[in-house]
Amino acid sequence: MADSKEMQLRASKLYKKRSSFEMVWRQLRRNKGALLGLALLIIIIIGALIAPIVYDYDTDVIGMNVRERMQWPSARHICGTDDLGRDIFARIVYGARYSLAVGFVAVIIALIIGTALGAAAGYIGGVFENIVMRVCDIFSSIPSVLMAIAVVSALGKSTANLMLAVGIASTAPFVRVARAAVLVVRGEEYVEAARAIGQPDWKIVIVHILPNCLSQIIVQATLRVGSAIISAAQLSFLGLGVPAPAPEWGSMLSSGRLYIRDYSYMTLFPGIAIMITVLSLNLLGDGLRDALDPKLKR
Amino acid sequence: MHRYIIKRLLMLIPVLLGVAFIIYAIMNVAEGDPVYQVAGPDATEEQLDALREEMGLNGSLLERYFRYIFKLLRGDLGTSYVSKMDVMQLYLQRLPNTLKLASVAMIVAVVISVPLGIVAAVNQNSIKDTVSMILALLGLSMPNFWLGLLLMLLFSLKLGWFPSGGAEGLRSVVLPAVTVGVGLAALLTRTTRSSMLDVLRQDYLRTARAKGVSEKRVVFHHALRNALIPIITIFGVQFSNVLGGSVLAETVFAWPGVGRLVVDAIDQRDIPTVTGALIMTTMLVTIVNLIVDIVYAYVDPRIKAQYTK
Repeated sequence: MADSKEMQLRASKLYKKRSSFEMVWRQLRRNKGALLGLALLIIIIIGALIAPIVYDYDTDVIGMNVRERMQWPSARHICGTDDLGRDIFARIVYGARYSLAVGFVAVIIALIIGTALGAAAGYIGGVFENIVMRVCDIFSSIPSVLMAIAVVSALGKSTANLMLAVGIASTAPFVRVARAAVLVVRGEEYVEAARAIGQPDWKIVIVHILPNCLSQIIVQATLRVGSAIISAAQLSFLGLGVPAPAPEWGSMLSSGRLYIRDYSYMTLFPGIAIMITVLSLNLLGDGLRDALDPKLKR
Repeated sequence: MHRYIIKRLLMLIPVLLGVAFIIYAIMNVAEGDPVYQVAGPDATEEQLDALREEMGLNGSLLERYFRYIFKLLRGDLGTSYVSKMDVMQLYLQRLPNTLKLASVAMIVAVVISVPLGIVAAVNQNSIKDTVSMILALLGLSMPNFWLGLLLMLLFSLKLGWFPSGGAEGLRSVVLPAVTVGVGLAALLTRTTRSSMLDVLRQDYLRTARAKGVSEKRVVFHHALRNALIPIITIFGVQFSNVLGGSVLAETVFAWPGVGRLVVDAIDQRDIPTVTGALIMTTMLVTIVNLIVDIVYAYVDPRIKAQYTK
């Protein structure tokens, strides 16, 4: 009797249940690239958060200062100043607020619409599934830059519309991931059991089915934020994004381009900012994918 | 096999109609009611109605859409508000430039990515592998228009090797094509590597090696041919992104293609041109994807077998 109790105790210690967060973190901790990405991302987010404390938006970020225009990088202005005498470093730090906000909000829009549609399509099946998937095909065959251009030109130029445009253009992958995940577990016994005890369909999908594909959705979302940031910068570069004088990285590149021959630093730094931000998200996303889905790891 | 092709062709029709409808509907919101602009503030209600009819703007959205589709079937995309030219003609004038840019970009991508991916896979976990993967990651993280600006700065403004804009001669296509191709190359390098790694583990390669086939022949003859299938698929899917990327490259390098046409038309609120160019481009992407799928079915006996039973 005493023996078996002791064994039970030992077994429960050995098989101490780890939360899935803990397990992912253990995997992630071993991946140097993912840690680097996470660290960079945290630095960028902190920078974006404290930017309004360090810089005054009206004087430092959008205020003109003609006497200090077109200065090459120096100790005073580490990234130089632009054609209106504004400190480029201050604008880049402040610009992180726009890029991160647009990237994250656009992906959240895509995630909510895409997951809901994909899960419903997979669960309901039949004609509805067919229609959703065909519409998804249609959306994926429109090049996403052109799609976003069309949406922005329909809704008008503003930060909110930019988020919506980029969000709509990146919805299709989420539909596919959610549908595939639902199809895998739809026939499982525990889903059948939930149905047998009379749980409503929406509850079955949200409580029992969707958590199974959470990891794939998280990975997809992390990687998509990076491409959403690039899309947003592209639209701003084309003059269809965040309106001037806001310090958006894409529009900074667009104005720097006019002076590329003689003042190349104006084109250099905003691009580096975009690249480092997207790189950090890609590193983290790749690491998460390896940690959450060991099958994919090579 | 014929059944497969016929089935795919039939499925193409609703997709193309859907594509056209979505773009038409979005651009319809963008357009608002342009008769006020054209007619001026003093026009009477009758004059406005007459003008609507003349511009093909009367009736419900669906009515107008179907009228648009029937005109499209006859090759008529309407008239540009700005240049008063036939939109189809404008589009066809620009299309060869964009196709030239896209195809050179895809060649650039393959030339960079396939060797890099093979080297990475064959030397898995070595320094060569790590360097290739870092390059691919940088390529994926870099906004292509910024890369274009940097290339222009270095190779045309500083070194003067290539022109910084326009579409004169062979040299002018190099920088825009590299701009578009690098992102695709990054993606293809990753695909080539993982696809090669999959194939290199297969038993038949062990058999080939056991029979004394040289390692070079194993890699290039036995492995690469099978690894190519996923690479071809990605290639087809990415055609849409290449056209999207070329919009930016065309803007940076003043390349007179379809992307430039769309961006300029949006600036001038020339809705018929934007709508027509977007619909035609998307149809092109859809048809190219279909061709890739069919080629893919021919290459992969497993798909062929499903439809020849």
